[in-house]
Amino acid sequence: MAGVKYNLIERANVEQMKNEELLKLARVLKIPIEFREIRRSLLIDEIMNTLEKLKQPKLPEDVLQTPAIQIKNLTKYFGRKEAVSQLNLEVNPGEIVGLVGPNGAGKTTTLRILTGIIRQTSGTVVVNGHDIKKEPIQAKSILGYIPEKPTCYPSLTVKEYVTFMARIYEVPKRIALVRMRQFVDRFQMDEFLDFYIGTLSKGNLQRALLIGIFVRPPPYILAFDEPIYGLDPRGAWNLKSYLRQLRDEGSAILISTHILEVASDLCDRFVIMNEGNVVGKGTLDQLLKYHKQTKNLEEVFLSLTGGIPKR
Amino acid sequence: MTSVQPKTSRLIANEFRMLYNQFKQTIRTPSMLLFYVITFSGVFFVSMVFVNFVAFASFIPQMSELLESSLDRDWIFALLGVISVSSVITGYFGLGPAAIITTDDENILLPSPIKPYQLFLSKYFKRIIRKATFVVFGLLAILPLLTSANLIFFSTAFTILCVVLFLESNYFLGALSSYFRIQISKKTKSPFRHLIVILIGVIILVLTFPEFTSTFTAAVLLPSNALGYFLTEATGIFSLGIGYQVGFVFVVLTFLIFLLLTASITNYEYYELFSSAKGKEQVEGSFSGLIRGEIDFSNSRFNDPSVWIMLKDFWSRLRSPYQIWKYIYAFLGTIFIVYLNLFHPSWFPPLTVPNSIQFAIVPAFALMMILFVQMSSITSMLSLVDEKQNVYLLKASPFRTKDIVLAKYLLSLLEVTIAVVPAAGFLIYILRIEGYLALITLIAPLTILFTASGLAIGAYVPVVTNDPKQLPIPLAFSYPIINLALGGLMIFMVAAFADSTLVIIALPVYIIGLTLFFLLLTSRAINSYK
Repeated sequence: MAGVKYNLIERANVEQMKNEELLKLARVLKIPIEFREIRRSLLIDEIMNTLEKLKQPKLPEDVLQTPAIQIKNLTKYFGRKEAVSQLNLEVNPGEIVGLVGPNGAGKTTTLRILTGIIRQTSGTVVVNGHDIKKEPIQAKSILGYIPEKPTCYPSLTVKEYVTFMARIYEVPKRIALVRMRQFVDRFQMDEFLDFYIGTLSKGNLQRALLIGIFVRPPPYILAFDEPIYGLDPRGAWNLKSYLRQLRDEGSAILISTHILEVASDLCDRFVIMNEGNVVGKGTLDQLLKYHKQTKNLEEVFLSLTGGIPKR
Repeated sequence: MTSVQPKTSRLIANEFRMLYNQFKQTIRTPSMLLFYVITFSGVFFVSMVFVNFVAFASFIPQMSELLESSLDRDWIFALLGVISVSSVITGYFGLGPAAIITTDDENILLPSPIKPYQLFLSKYFKRIIRKATFVVFGLLAILPLLTSANLIFFSTAFTILCVVLFLESNYFLGALSSYFRIQISKKTKSPFRHLIVILIGVIILVLTFPEFTSTFTAAVLLPSNALGYFLTEATGIFSLGIGYQVGFVFVVLTFLIFLLLTASITNYEYYELFSSAKGKEQVEGSFSGLIRGEIDFSNSRFNDPSVWIMLKDFWSRLRSPYQIWKYIYAFLGTIFIVYLNLFHPSWFPPLTVPNSIQFAIVPAFALMMILFVQMSSITSMLSLVDEKQNVYLLKASPFRTKDIVLAKYLLSLLEVTIAVVPAAGFLIYILRIEGYLALITLIAPLTILFTASGLAIGAYVPVVTNDPKQLPIPLAFSYPIINLALGGLMIFMVAAFADSTLVIIALPVYIIGLTLFFLLLTSRAINSYK
């Protein structure tokens, strides 16, 4: 449901926080602590009281424009090679769209153009009403991106990285503190908070990047390239569950993936690409209806990208 | 819709945080710390040894006289101008401000709501802080030399600061030159568009003419002129007598002007440039493909694992244009030095050393010989580093470690030898000393030894860091120092036993013993990869 008003700091979120984090939050909120010891519940009460008195910080509007992502006639050439050809794509708030296709289909290129890393040869990309070429800062302010091959600054600890991302997106300190704890717990990263990112495994690096995005308050326009890559089953389940929650709260999500089980489990609509062209699009039901000889997304995918191999 | 616009200071603070963390990681990693200690104490030791051999204080006035008598004031400015022109030319074909973007930035900061100039400034501040730190360490390490030469620490530091700022200004000139290329390429595809780089080069050279450099007022026009003023005023050679402070102010001013200019031209096009350059790294250049032809090394009739690894390395290296240029240099360089040594052309006379410093010519020859071999043997250090992540595949393959080490060593030895030959020939020609034939034969043992030490240092990269493709700075710095110490020790040993037949035993024992030691270290390093 788009347009939900977010209660940025719930009591339950504050109760999740560790003692030293509560003290840090109290300092951020300038709560005078006069005693050498204070009961945890009292401190939480104080924090909640102070938060209620505070004016809500200025955050990105909580309703995205429709469509949140609008790609029109997108074409991208690398030298003479056409990586993406005349792509048209829309993602609305409250929707998860799966961009599926074989290797070299142009999925990653599309996401990299969408996030402003590279520029299109022709066509327009509009993110929440802002052309990524003309108003990149406004467009990027709402975007969250997970790359195909996740990398991050190896000399930062997870905590430092998440704090840095909160500062880049101007998330107020109190919100950043609470949300960091919330998502560190959700993605089971507590023991790695003080680890250097360079020492993390692939899955934990992916989790750190996700926390770096979710430390910002929703709604988001997410462009995730193989987000499940490297995550263990629990991490994958947590992410999928949270993405569904975000969709229900009004975020717009575009996911590129090879894993068709993930796509069919998570996505509301699909855009199937092959060699830079869109070869199929629609909901699973629509695709199955159109391709009558197929039984599932996998078979639709195979029939559209070179045919179903004979057993 | 509200948009966020983070302050540049937040990005700079993050870069500082990363530098600080890297420092913390270094001092907590014994192997990294060890290499830093080796580098620092090695340079300190070598500079102390030099000081014991030669009293540098007496050199300085003689050097000034020598420079004033053999050089022309205009040549100093022209030479500095040529350095700027070469930066403009290389920068024209380079990445410009995109050169400081990393893959991590690409994934984290490029999709973030920050402006390209903010990214550039934050990365640049990190770069300049790193350089400044290394300069300070370097200065401390050569303190004995400075003291011996009666050079005041702060004035030397001041000079080095100016030189660093000048080099950085040249980087900005290159960045501006790349900007011109991008902008002109958008308007025309005519091959004549590249003439712009020649035009810029000519303008720079014209600005170094005496008409612009005979008075200090024109110094602000060009970083090279500003440095020229600083150097001439600070050293007193061809001084106009206006004080070095004016030159210094102009060096700083030109640096700041070009820094701000580069920041202001840094736009989103450089994101694209970075991405396309990264993509090209993985694609074989057409020139390399032309040279390499259709040869497929997998059709080799050799069955020996070492030969297989050598063939793999040789043909895969041939995919890099750098390798092709290296062979072209070796081929043409060898022809040129043969020509020089046979025909002694009058247009390129050997160096004439004044009688007053003749006593230093043999140590200078030996030092240059060590340095030339050192420079040529960097290939061996990169032999395992160039494998990148594949180094783990290599280790997991059904090869014995000694086969890997032997293959890497033999191919590196060949590569280093190819690069050393022209350098040795040039040294013989340019520094004509008595008994050079006896001395130059020492290049062979030096090559054998330095190749092994390079291989060992390169092998330790995946041991001291998680990133096998990134050569850590302490390792890279310690390599020349270790080699300088090993080479110096060898020369000392040869000099000490020069009149004794013992040298025939001592030298091979020293070289073979140390070479085997380094190869053993390489094996141990490879075996310890996790």
